[in-house]
Amino acid sequence: MNDGLLIFGIGNSGRCDDGLGWAFLDRIQTEAGFSGTVEYRYQLQVEDAAQASCAQRVIFVDSHDGVLPGGFAFKPCMPSRDFEFTSHVLPPRAVMHFCQELYGKTPRADLLMIQGVSWDLGEGLSPEAANFLEDALGFFRNELLPGLC
Amino acid sequence: MSTSTRKITIDPVTRVEGHGRVTVQMDEQGKVEQARFHVVEFRGFERFIQGHPYWEAPLLVQRLCGICPVSHHLAAAKAIDQVYGMDPQDLHPTATKIRRLLHLAQVFQSHALHFFYLASPDLLFGMDAPVEKRSVGAVAMEHGELARKGIQMRQFGQELIKALAGKKIHGITAVPGGVHKTFFPHEREYFLSEEGSPSVDTMIQWSLEVVGFIKDYHDKNFSMLDSFASYPSGHLGLVDQNGGLELYDGLMRAIDSRGGITLNDAHSDSYLKHFGEGVEKWSYMKFPFLRHLGREKGWNRVGPLARLNVCDHISTPLANEELREFKAYTNGRPNNHTMHSHWARLIEVLYCAEAIKELLNDPAILDEVERPTVNRRPEGIGIIEAPRGTLIHHYQVDEKGSITKCNLIVSTTHNNEPMNRAVQWVAQNVLDQQQEITDGMLNQVEVAIRAYDPCLSCATHSMGQMPLILEVLDADGKVIAEYRKDAT
Repeated sequence: MNDGLLIFGIGNSGRCDDGLGWAFLDRIQTEAGFSGTVEYRYQLQVEDAAQASCAQRVIFVDSHDGVLPGGFAFKPCMPSRDFEFTSHVLPPRAVMHFCQELYGKTPRADLLMIQGVSWDLGEGLSPEAANFLEDALGFFRNELLPGLC
Repeated sequence: MSTSTRKITIDPVTRVEGHGRVTVQMDEQGKVEQARFHVVEFRGFERFIQGHPYWEAPLLVQRLCGICPVSHHLAAAKAIDQVYGMDPQDLHPTATKIRRLLHLAQVFQSHALHFFYLASPDLLFGMDAPVEKRSVGAVAMEHGELARKGIQMRQFGQELIKALAGKKIHGITAVPGGVHKTFFPHEREYFLSEEGSPSVDTMIQWSLEVVGFIKDYHDKNFSMLDSFASYPSGHLGLVDQNGGLELYDGLMRAIDSRGGITLNDAHSDSYLKHFGEGVEKWSYMKFPFLRHLGREKGWNRVGPLARLNVCDHISTPLANEELREFKAYTNGRPNNHTMHSHWARLIEVLYCAEAIKELLNDPAILDEVERPTVNRRPEGIGIIEAPRGTLIHHYQVDEKGSITKCNLIVSTTHNNEPMNRAVQWVAQNVLDQQQEITDGMLNQVEVAIRAYDPCLSCATHSMGQMPLILEVLDADGKVIAEYRKDAT
């Protein structure tokens, strides 16, 4: 269990740019001054709320199938009762909703979306996604990291 | 009553693993003529594993499933041990203990997942509950304490798997003739201590509470639980040398619906002699049966209900006491109440928690494991009790060690005929001669299937998402109504 920063990377490195969330985690762990907990997820689960409840700050990193200005977007993730009859698709805001309802905790949560373009079977990011990843890492390194760790 | 004929299709069946479809055919009077549970996905693991080195099998076949990969990993490992040249009793004792601990963690987390995430909405909110209530999300909102415990119980099992195998899903523990990794004192302490997360003692306490919950639920709803989708059947499971419940390595025992022995503690090597597999053109899932009884009479249920029916006792005290009560309810005769599968499953959760504690406290669990070099054999058979029932892996290799043949009889495959019988029960008792088919009625079809906790992806050896289709056919086989639930 963690106490400070918790980052969930969501995706699948076997589906090209769907692996952006994991690639982001791979890189930030080597960043000087980084001291958070990282978790790799194919998809979010209800039990992730338990882990989130122990953190002070939560960031969800996921790939995005669509155009983002600058190749990435960073925005607050507000708790929302947003789940269906199945637990197989659980958005970050639903995880934070369970965190609030089940554990009475509402750590600050944000969503970092990085633009992808290729979703085929296969490993490795497309050149475009790799560039977007660098831009997102730069933002994390310069804008977020100093205030996080 | 309408004079037209109907076919009802449910596609997909939800809150199960994999893709399934139900079709119910009705005649002109609205009477059910036929009800079938189809599995419509195909994977072909048995074929594409051919040509791979034998030692890859435990790694490759666990990709059959994201829910019970440990079971496939260990069943394959037991078979590959034999190819490597070692029988189960030849393994270093610590290797066997680590594998057992891993398996218990897997069964514990899988059963918790099924009960709290998949089955509990039906029990807590009723079979006629609106769709938005049929999820663990709704359980979390309205039964927070139960949900919190369910989440943490599953987490406990997954963390133990991670400690032993490196990852919660698709980790590596077993290697031919042994295990890959030593279990360290600090890892053990994490599960024995309350520091950081609930300990194994808490897991035992919570398991007792949830068994108490299902017994209380039964007291209030025995009429439904005792009758819904109930029918006589055979039961199959592993037992130890003394007839006790055994999940990792034991003898195959089967009984008929009245308790008569139909397979008398047979060794795994003899499975081909005892089991045949039927095929139907309307399903990719096979129909295993005991050869000497034939296809019509030789099918068996597997899984928690079957295991508690075939065993004489349980080695851990609290679970054994619950087993006694469970068996007393049917006066010692086999329990053929399908919905009692949930009760049986929770008793097994308790057993797993107790057995995990025993192994964690065993000093030998921390020993270094030696793996001798031995002479390779051309064949190996591994049988294990996966969460959903008896799982059989069989491999043959050539002189270079390449796999030439693979046969898998997966737990849910044994339950193919039983699930079809359950669907037929609901069709005849709920859907028969109904002018209007409601969503609640359709959910009852799913509840009957869900009691078996089927893993359809495993059973057809498929990448899948979990959809259910209910079709109504007319007398000519034409689809005249279709109800569909989209998978996600």
